[in-house]
Amino acid sequence: MEIFLLKNIDNPESHRIQVYQQTGGYEQLKKALSMKPEDIIQEVKNSGLRGRGGAGFPTGMKWDFASRDPKLPKYLVCNADEGEPGTFKDRPILEKNPHLLIEGMVISAYALKAERGYIYLRGEYPHAKVVLEEAIREAYESGFLGQDILGSGFSFDLSVHQGAGAYICGEETALIDSLEGRRGQPRIKPPFPVNVGAWGMPTVVNNVETLSNLPLIIKIGAEEYKKIGNPECPGPKLYCVSGMVERPGVYELPMGTTLKEIIYEHCGGIKGGGQLKAVIPGGISTPVLTPDKIDVQMDFVSLPKVGSMLGSGAVMVFDESVCLVRVCWRAIRFFEHESCGKCTPCREGVGWMRTVLERIESGFGRKGDIELLQDIASNITGKTFCPLGDGAAGVVLNFIRNFPEEFDYHIQNKKCMVEA
Amino acid sequence: MIKLTIDGIEVELEKPITVLEAARKAGIKIPTLCYFEGLKPFGGCRLCVVEVEKLPRLQTACTMMAADGMVVKTETEKIKAARRAMLEFLLINHPLDCPVCDKAGECELQDLVARYGPDAGRFREGKRRHPESFDDPIIVRNMERCVLCTRCIRMCEDLQGAYAITVTGRGSHSFVEPFSGGRYDCEYCGNCLTVCPVGAIMSRLHRHSYRPWYIQNNVETVCGYCGVGCTMILQMREGQIVRTIPEMGLGLNNGLLCVRGRFGYDFVQSEARLRMPMIRKDGELREVSWAEALDYVAKRLREISEKHGPQAVGGIGSSRCTNEDNYMLQRLMRFTIGTNNIDSAARLYYAPAQRFLERIFGQGITANLIPGIKNSDGVLIFGGDPTQINPILGLQIRAAGRESATVVTFGRAKGLERFAHYMLPGGPSVIDAVTGMIVQELRDKVQLSGENKWLEGEIQKTRVSEAVEGVSVDEVVERLKEMTNPVIIIGPEVLQSQNSDRTLLLIAQIVYLLNGRVFLLSDRPNYQGCIDMGVLPDMLPGGRPIEMFKHKAEEVMGKEVPTERGLNLFEMIEAASEGRLKALYVMGENPVFNLPDRERVTQALKGLEFLVVQDIFLTETALMADVVLPARAWSEKTGTFTNLERRIQMVRAGAESVEDMGDWRIIAELAQRLGEEKQFRSVEDVWEEITHVSPLHTALDYEEISKGNALWPYNGEPLRGVEEEVEIQGLDDIKPLKVEAVLQPDRPLYHSGSMSRHSKALKSIEDAPKVVIGEALSEKLSLKDGDRVRVTTERGTLKATVSIDSTLGDERVFLSNTFSEGNFSSLATYGVSRLGSMSLDANKVRVEKEEA
Amino acid sequence: MEEIKEILKRYPDRRGALLPTLYIMQREYGWLSQEALQAAADALNLPPATVKGVATFYAMYRHKPMGRHLIQLCTNVACMIMGAERLVDLLKERYGLEPGGTTEDGRFSLVIMECIGACDRAPAMLVDTDFHADLNEQNLFEILEQYK
Ligand SMILES: Cc1cc2nc3c(=O)[nH]c(=O)nc-3n(C[C@H](O)[C@H](O)[C@H](O)COP(=O)(O)O)c2cc1C
Ligand code: SF4
Ligand code: FES
Repeated sequence: MEIFLLKNIDNPESHRIQVYQQTGGYEQLKKALSMKPEDIIQEVKNSGLRGRGGAGFPTGMKWDFASRDPKLPKYLVCNADEGEPGTFKDRPILEKNPHLLIEGMVISAYALKAERGYIYLRGEYPHAKVVLEEAIREAYESGFLGQDILGSGFSFDLSVHQGAGAYICGEETALIDSLEGRRGQPRIKPPFPVNVGAWGMPTVVNNVETLSNLPLIIKIGAEEYKKIGNPECPGPKLYCVSGMVERPGVYELPMGTTLKEIIYEHCGGIKGGGQLKAVIPGGISTPVLTPDKIDVQMDFVSLPKVGSMLGSGAVMVFDESVCLVRVCWRAIRFFEHESCGKCTPCREGVGWMRTVLERIESGFGRKGDIELLQDIASNITGKTFCPLGDGAAGVVLNFIRNFPEEFDYHIQNKKCMVEA
Repeated sequence: MIKLTIDGIEVELEKPITVLEAARKAGIKIPTLCYFEGLKPFGGCRLCVVEVEKLPRLQTACTMMAADGMVVKTETEKIKAARRAMLEFLLINHPLDCPVCDKAGECELQDLVARYGPDAGRFREGKRRHPESFDDPIIVRNMERCVLCTRCIRMCEDLQGAYAITVTGRGSHSFVEPFSGGRYDCEYCGNCLTVCPVGAIMSRLHRHSYRPWYIQNNVETVCGYCGVGCTMILQMREGQIVRTIPEMGLGLNNGLLCVRGRFGYDFVQSEARLRMPMIRKDGELREVSWAEALDYVAKRLREISEKHGPQAVGGIGSSRCTNEDNYMLQRLMRFTIGTNNIDSAARLYYAPAQRFLERIFGQGITANLIPGIKNSDGVLIFGGDPTQINPILGLQIRAAGRESATVVTFGRAKGLERFAHYMLPGGPSVIDAVTGMIVQELRDKVQLSGENKWLEGEIQKTRVSEAVEGVSVDEVVERLKEMTNPVIIIGPEVLQSQNSDRTLLLIAQIVYLLNGRVFLLSDRPNYQGCIDMGVLPDMLPGGRPIEMFKHKAEEVMGKEVPTERGLNLFEMIEAASEGRLKALYVMGENPVFNLPDRERVTQALKGLEFLVVQDIFLTETALMADVVLPARAWSEKTGTFTNLERRIQMVRAGAESVEDMGDWRIIAELAQRLGEEKQFRSVEDVWEEITHVSPLHTALDYEEISKGNALWPYNGEPLRGVEEEVEIQGLDDIKPLKVEAVLQPDRPLYHSGSMSRHSKALKSIEDAPKVVIGEALSEKLSLKDGDRVRVTTERGTLKATVSIDSTLGDERVFLSNTFSEGNFSSLATYGVSRLGSMSLDANKVRVEKEEA
Repeated sequence: MEEIKEILKRYPDRRGALLPTLYIMQREYGWLSQEALQAAADALNLPPATVKGVATFYAMYRHKPMGRHLIQLCTNVACMIMGAERLVDLLKERYGLEPGGTTEDGRFSLVIMECIGACDRAPAMLVDTDFHADLNEQNLFEILEQYK
């Protein structure tokens, strides 16, 4: 497969508009501007593109809802919050290929008739902010942003909105609240952002990677696009791999590449030739898998069949040297820190799980603690306001389900299996 | 039509509502914590979860809209387990200190745990600690008890519009706090107290003083502070008010109160209350029996009236007393003693302004519904900050501004700063020019109805000869002309100057051009009642001019109406100082303190042969009296008030104080001693007579009034077709005036004068005079908020703290008339305006920084 | 301020500019003191309590004074398994620097971060706005020594 999303990134000047344009950049925008907005939406629908932010929602459908809403103005927001632990796939686009994203956004905005766009960028990426703002400036200068883009009569303004350290602001409604200058807490849905989003107006929120697929779809058309990867949810996919592999990093591969191939071929296998113990396929919120499950295709439809999810495509690999109780504890500490506090089960329950995990991990576990954890987790599950709390409960339930012996060992021996 | 099934009950809905509301309609109460009627749904507590057929997850009933064909279950085992789980979560960090928590007994969390469990704790670790905050004089915050339902925040932001509190922090470290983290900088409406389901936000005033089950009776009454007339519940125990609370669905305030209503009631329990009648003997006031006091008053009044004629006697009614009290005083003066010398503080601005507007538009022009304000598409505010003078009316304006209304203020209106779309200048130097400019532009842009030819003529005559520099009204006029149901609010600050008749005519022109509904702000609870009860020298009850209705009244009363022209409040003071007025009966009013020019007023009263003061405190006026009669306070009375929308509302006694006999009865007793035959056995008897005498109140009884809908002119007959022409000078030559800094009376949120300065609660919020200045003056004098200044007028100097009002763009300096140590009237003098109101133009003032 | 005026142009209302304004105040005042929060509220004409509520929600706004350089070290799962916790200990040993604290000489403050998106080169940190990855016991101090 030809590399598209990460094209040029080995070139130290890849973030500059000249480099981008030399390799065909902004050509797709010209093509798109000659199409009818409805046709672009139709093309995106036909392409089968599904959102890369985690939920895998069909992008064309989302756009359709928004474009049917008569309210004006409309907003296009790029979700560059990339907060899911283990995830760093959007970062190379933001830092090294920003014009791809900008081109994707202008095309999307044109299709949606949105005149205002924001890139909601996580505060933890200060370098990306500099790069993006410079790229936006270049794009304005070249007439790809601003009034009457390339003489099409279409205008689009774009700016970076810097987040300030809140994972929940990756959730689209919390993101909108944060964009509006509020505490970033999820909103009641419905109404959905496509109808009542930023400042009460129809708003489309899409992930960086999703929007960056637009130039490709325009370039090769839906039919060709569908041939990339698993036809049920096609396209190129960025997999970011971390943990105990030889070559961690971001890989652009066809959607549906198997986890095994990713770990053992692209990443060169387990670090130091160790033994794989566990792998999280899609970021910390997605259920952990045991080594026997890694033959699975990494896409939105295959992973659920083995009890997990594609999420953000963030693969975290753990070998025998890693204590999974500690990983579980650390993950829950993360969720506790990031719980927005809006709903009872997440605000109180996740912290409680953390305290129980903490005592197990530090050798003070008691008999019954595993059952207690499972009970707290199931009391959270299905009752939280947004998926964050569910995700936290899922982490606990899945780690315990898949690796009960590690938890038992901790409680019985008051110490870690790994160090033993 | 939406049809759904909830717990087997079929529910039909006209319009989409939430499952929770639909269930309530069907009589099914789903437990909630974060839900509160009237606040936006939040969906955070997760207690209202229900099962909806075909949906795998439990759903929160408070956020889910009912849909056709839905089948909902609200109490299955799965649901109960979920609720128990949520409650367990809420309890893990909760201090479980119910035995020392004042909320116990009315705590929603406690009740829910009693119902759903858990009944044992599984949480073994240390709880989150967050010490209780006592930094505020009124509000105690205990964030360990908080369940983070955010009802208080939504109340404070969305309904009150004060934005004083927030959730700080995140996740399990979220706490409700004011900006300072300690003391509140807020309007102290206390509406957060109403909505807090647990003991997290509590009133400090009541701390450990009672338990909810101690409350012996709940009495529904109307607040005695301002002309809005909020309904509230007095919660009583052993004759004392334990607290006052509003109630959802009750009264036009519908669950809200302002600081005065919620916290200011404790004046009635003040040590300083008068208990026994007093007669001045050997220069000193000595306590005597009621019989002795009344006999003496009757004797003296008879003597004076016989010797000097009834015209030597006068009465001052009270805008803080009930209609019945005022009616009786009026009756005593007119029909027993035989003089029209009767007036009240409504004279200061309210009555003349209303009269002026009624002459133009007809009786009832100010009778409009407060709750309607929020549905209007425009609100124009002249002459004061409604959020201070009439706070609950102010909230309606905020709500309107948040919805689709365009809010335009003229002059200062601090409380509307975040809600107004246009803030135009409105100080005395420019108000006429600004309104005139609007009239000039507007008259060409709207269709004139031809209904009032005279006024249309005046509108055409209006000419601004010199526009106000830097002010453009174009944009505002564009918005005005689109308005279909605007509201025009007129407050005292444009009604107490020499020129106020012209100002009011210009405002009236705008009212006419926009077909607006008028509200007259009323800083006292019963100005309107004083007017309607005939506590006016020239009007009989029902707002009937004496000349026209003399015979009718005589027919009903079987007594003569005196023919001699009566003296108004100003004239009575005048007559007293000239020795023409010999006896004055003052009921529930404190002219020495409330009228400017204390010297003049004191001298005048000294000149009287006989002064009777009937009051609850030994006021500055009472101190001069020959006889002092202890009166009942508002919470001890039964009767009616008429609010500024002319709604007649029941005032009910929470408890009657033992020693006294109530204002109307005192007067009835007096009247008997002066030869009156009619016996008034109860307050209903008084009301009965009113309904016969006043054509506005025909056949209206307490039962009807109790329903809360006795709006003007209920059953009665307004006076129609008496529109008159009024003559105003200088309409065709309006220009900005050169005006020097003048001192004006402030009507602050936290105080109202003689009553509020006896309220410990209100004093704990503000206990010293504040002088309010605009930004220009503060810059000129390099003053910041809280600096000490000296305020000097011809009458003297006082020291006060400065408060800067960013919306005050003119030359006025405001000082409230609250504290005896520093108040407006002691520094001011007054005149009478052409409108007939008090004119306060002459009080030139100098503010100087006090060097530390 | 000119800068805030520019930012205001990007949003349909004043409130939208709050997050960027808080960053500016943080830069100007060093941290978001009451004074800084009040300044943000005044600049945008927002209620100060509201501003505080927003500011305290986000982890990257500072609510106490900071050292000259801010170390934001990630200890989330990927960094943890690659030894980030050891680095936290070292910072304490070497500089007496505790998470959430500041060195006595006011040179460094340390904030423990959740994932900063550098998991492939864990452990990683931000020092002020500079990004440093593939940290280990040696290079950590070589890097920090460049910050005076
Ligand atoms: C707790 C939570 C965190 C999320 N974080 C991110 C994120 O960091 N980046 C992202 O693109 N989407 C994130 N999402 C998903 C967004 O809500 C949303 O689905 C996505 O931005 C839609 O874009 P897409 O359709 O292009 O995937 C998150 C969702 C949840 C519930
Ligand atoms: S699950 Fe609840 S508390 Fe947790 S992040 Fe979502 S809304 Fe906030
Ligand atoms: S009442 Fe529905 S979630 Fe709180």
